[in-house]
Amino acid sequence: AVLSLDEASQMTDPAAILTSVKAAQKFFSEDKDRGFEAKMMDENARLLAYQQQLEKESDGKITFFGLSINETLRTLLMNGMSKKADKVKSDFKVADKRFWYVKLHALTAMRDFEGLDAF
Amino acid sequence: AQTDKHEPSINTDVLRDIGTRSLIDTLNSVNGAKTLVLDPSLAGPLGLVIEVSTLKNHGVDKMFWLEAGPLAASTTNIVYLCRPSIKHVKIIADQIKRHARESQKHLYNLFLVPRKSTVVTRILEEEGVLGDINISTYNLQFIPIADDVVSLENENAFKELWVDGDETAVYSSALALVTLQKLYGPFPRIRLATLLTRSLPEQGTLEPDPSAATAPIDSLIILDRHVDMITPLLTQLTYEGLVDEVIGIQNSHIEIPLSLLTVPNAPNPSNPSAALPSTSASNVTPVSNEKTKKHHLTPATDPLFAELRDLNFSSVGKRLNKVAHRLDEDYKARLQAKTVAQLRDFVGKLGGLQTEHQALRLHTGLSEMLVSHTRTELFNKSLEIQQNLLASYETTKQINAIEELIAQGADMQTIIRLLCLASLTTGGIKTKALESIKREILQAFGYNYLPLLLSLSAHPLSAVLPVPLPPSSDPPSKLPFAAVRKSLRLLIDDSPEAIEEVENDISYVYSGYAPISVRLVQCVAQKGGVISNPAEKAPPADGDTNGKANAEKHLRAHPILGWKGFEDTLAQIPGETVDITPKAGNVNSSPSVTSLRNDQTTTTVVFFLGGCTYTEIAALRWVSRQNRGRKFLIATTSIISGKSLIDSIAGADSRTKETSR
Repeated sequence: AVLSLDEASQMTDPAAILTSVKAAQKFFSEDKDRGFEAKMMDENARLLAYQQQLEKESDGKITFFGLSINETLRTLLMNGMSKKADKVKSDFKVADKRFWYVKLHALTAMRDFEGLDAF
Repeated sequence: AQTDKHEPSINTDVLRDIGTRSLIDTLNSVNGAKTLVLDPSLAGPLGLVIEVSTLKNHGVDKMFWLEAGPLAASTTNIVYLCRPSIKHVKIIADQIKRHARESQKHLYNLFLVPRKSTVVTRILEEEGVLGDINISTYNLQFIPIADDVVSLENENAFKELWVDGDETAVYSSALALVTLQKLYGPFPRIRLATLLTRSLPEQGTLEPDPSAATAPIDSLIILDRHVDMITPLLTQLTYEGLVDEVIGIQNSHIEIPLSLLTVPNAPNPSNPSAALPSTSASNVTPVSNEKTKKHHLTPATDPLFAELRDLNFSSVGKRLNKVAHRLDEDYKARLQAKTVAQLRDFVGKLGGLQTEHQALRLHTGLSEMLVSHTRTELFNKSLEIQQNLLASYETTKQINAIEELIAQGADMQTIIRLLCLASLTTGGIKTKALESIKREILQAFGYNYLPLLLSLSAHPLSAVLPVPLPPSSDPPSKLPFAAVRKSLRLLIDDSPEAIEEVENDISYVYSGYAPISVRLVQCVAQKGGVISNPAEKAPPADGDTNGKANAEKHLRAHPILGWKGFEDTLAQIPGETVDITPKAGNVNSSPSVTSLRNDQTTTTVVFFLGGCTYTEIAALRWVSRQNRGRKFLIATTSIISGKSLIDSIAGADSRTKETSR
């Protein structure tokens, strides 16, 4: 499983990455002690798929693919897509505290003082 | 004044000479002009033994990094110098084949550092280029990086040993230690705290050396990094350690803003050096356009650094201030100069003053960088968590605090270090809490860190463990931290002010925590220091450094007696301990010989398998200052910090970051 993850980190083609992440997920799920890892890989695959969708929606102007959840949230917020960010938050069960910190940093970076005020 | 105190009794420059000479011999074995292709990870270590100009003198025409892709060489001879890794050999084979296709004629020489491996020949055979290449070795061994520290500069030793299960590093370490024996005579006693006893036979079969009787080395202590995993995870608090943590020291070079090395800093009211006449600060160093510059941090050319490097950071400011004042006085001497002779005298000193001034400016600037870092909330939070974990104080709360840090966007290494620390000190984290924290980490930093988490919890390393353990996994060796903490007196309940004032125990290097590794060395070499605080023996009235030093003067270093008295403690620490007296020679068996004569200074070699931190070096220097008659020579596979440790385990992607730094 780790091997196929390794493979995934070296590939550049999004579809290929997705396949190897899914392969890793399968390998993990076969070992009953690796339930946690399997779950995480499942999340990873879901995130990658969603990121692909986001890229399509933004006409490829913004790159999402391969970012971590925090970075995804940040990118979404920076581009004024806070609804999407909320969706990521609920889909991936992001802890409130972390979400608000990310949002705070993003808003500060944008100097969106109205947004900060509304906080 | 401190430098002369830990003057080494054996000369480590010999080692550097060996490195230089054998490299030159290696290069000369290839006739004519040659193109040198260098493994980037070797550039740093080699820079410590040889200058580029020397290479040029020995026929090196051009130098290239060993990288994938075509190689454009103008000379017939091509010399590859690399570590024996599969990746490198594949690149070489590829380049040779490419040349063959383009019908370029070259003579290939491959020098492997430090030795040949069968894997390499196998790959070359499979690629069908084995006949075209001349394989040989360049045996790079210990490189002295300070007068009492030698290092193999193999950054990945820890990972290879404990994550990949690759024991090449053990073998090359053993070879290097054998070289030490050849130079300075055999080690009368060898002491190991290690899981890897396989290196022993190589040590045992050594031929006795006739010079044994005059051997300046009384003992070799080998410490396996795995014995003390906690120490490197903590934030180092000595000056050199903190520089390594914040800025990063690579092969004893640091990369710092150029302004620190050339133009004077902006005037700083708290810093008297800024008030000095600016004319004296003529620009001696050439100005280049780069933003950062590599600076070789070495006590040899920088006496101020030698003074500062082992201090707890909290007292660095004070020391800098003192030096600045002294410099100021020296400069003022010029004003008092009346006669021509006095003036000439001053001008003669001026050069020295200027270099000192330069050094002062550098270190003041560095400290400012460090201070701005140590004042951040994240730094102090993580320090607080570390201290609490070490004291086993409200551990569940600390885990929540780590989670909080993730939320606040602390960097990955900090979090992983704290997590490992939490697991090691408590003997495991509750499964549920651990999973939620792992999840947070993966979400915050990316799922590509899952392999890192896996290898951290994998068997030999066992740095992150859930409680209760999953039934199928084998029982790992756990560290009963609380018991060890008590028996080795790891935590000192001094008030912080007292620690700053009196550096009375090795624990000062971590502001109250004594590294296990160094305590273990003390178990062998300074038993008194483990059981009680040596400073407490001094009358309380003169509990300052001077009083303590006087009391210490009477304490002779006792002969190396083995682990005697600490067997119980050692039994708690994972790994077996070995105490052997090689039968080689007739001198070692009788205790009367190992005991010290009064006028003789012996050296104890402490070898860290898997790397040691600057802080541990500082602590060992402290130990050797306490005892007359015994010096330490610290040997290690590399200098590590928690950050570099995590980075090396994290693997490929961060390693490229490391090299590009």
